[in-house]
Amino acid sequence: MIFLAKAAEIPEGERKLVKINGLEVAVFHHEGRFYALNNACPHRQGPLIRGTIETAAERAGCFIRCPMHGWKFDLTTGDSNGRPANATIYPIDQRGAELFIEL
Amino acid sequence: MSIRLDQVQPIIDREYDYLMTEHPHWSLTKGDQDLELVAHALRVLLHMKTTPQHLAEYLALVDCQHADGGWGKMSSNKESAAWVTAFCALMLIRGNLHLKHPRIAEAVRKCARYFLETQKEDGKWSDPSWADLDAVSHPISFFDVLLAVGRNLVDEPTMARIKDAWRKGMRFMLERQAADGGWYDPEFHPTGVEITAHLIQDSIVADLVLGNELNVRDCCQKGVLKLLSVQAADGSWDGENVDHTMDCTRSIMLVCSILGTRAQCDRAIERGLEWILKQKCDKGWPDFPGMETNLERTCDGLDTLLKYKAYSQPVTTAIVKLWGYAA
Repeated sequence: MIFLAKAAEIPEGERKLVKINGLEVAVFHHEGRFYALNNACPHRQGPLIRGTIETAAERAGCFIRCPMHGWKFDLTTGDSNGRPANATIYPIDQRGAELFIEL
Repeated sequence: MSIRLDQVQPIIDREYDYLMTEHPHWSLTKGDQDLELVAHALRVLLHMKTTPQHLAEYLALVDCQHADGGWGKMSSNKESAAWVTAFCALMLIRGNLHLKHPRIAEAVRKCARYFLETQKEDGKWSDPSWADLDAVSHPISFFDVLLAVGRNLVDEPTMARIKDAWRKGMRFMLERQAADGGWYDPEFHPTGVEITAHLIQDSIVADLVLGNELNVRDCCQKGVLKLLSVQAADGSWDGENVDHTMDCTRSIMLVCSILGTRAQCDRAIERGLEWILKQKCDKGWPDFPGMETNLERTCDGLDTLLKYKAYSQPVTTAIVKLWGYAA
């Protein structure tokens, strides 16, 4: 497991870009839960850290929309709802006040 | 105009030198490449008027064309896709105005057949990576150029089919303009900024070719006004999106030049350009402020400055040529 961030560094509703050995991980704290995913959108490498978090009437869960061309990913699974590629998700292991991921 | 050309030219020169030092990262002569990036780089060569020195780049693009006339996202991909095929097709038809190479001419004819055979009944093209309006706008742009400067490339029956397909595609686009002047897609383009910028520049040619048959002048003017209305106070568009700000700045330059509404748009263009220049990295441009430089965006930045140079000239044809709509 690799240390990602201290939970207190990312208050509710906030986000943080973490660089781990050249890899950019976008971390979101949304409605009480932390999410981590590869910052590069699989479409055209848009920065998901600058995306908008949305809900969808037709699907449960919450989603991140890429600011470049609008691809939308389930924050929990990375699913793109039929687009040719999904986002890479890193499940977070919260240990007390610290967040870890496995790469 | 407040941005002087003697300020812009040194930036163009430096950034072009930088692009050339990055040649191994965009040239098909060096291996497998992202073809959208390749097309962006070839457009810079065109607008820098260095295409004749780079025949090998164009022939390498011909070499990886599929039997159906298309290309995939990467040059090694085996499956064709509409969006990237249109990018490649545009660069080949425009490049061959200078190169006049028979293999490139044949590749352009294959591109035309690809688009004729893959158009849907309602006039659109589909690409799972893009919105339908994206997927239709780029083939239409290729047909725009073919109609404007490439009529000698295909026989009369094929040209008649192309005109029909172009008209159907154009109608598909124009009929989907919203009442506020923008185009939107709920999945890909909820803000509508990028797609509106693309569609007005692709549509305006219909006015040059068809007259006002499709009421395209009004559509484009409404589109321009929509873009002007959503420009941020700092001059950017779409949440400080460098790509989309470059798209809007360039597109407005072309459309207002053709519509004769430059006075209405000059200040917005300058503000857009000033913002773009502020975002420059030491070398190249990023996708968003503060990010690392990105080669494709660097090509867009160079293209924007080169188009601004053309826009600054007193004759409208100077900028129209940089979209390939005039020889």
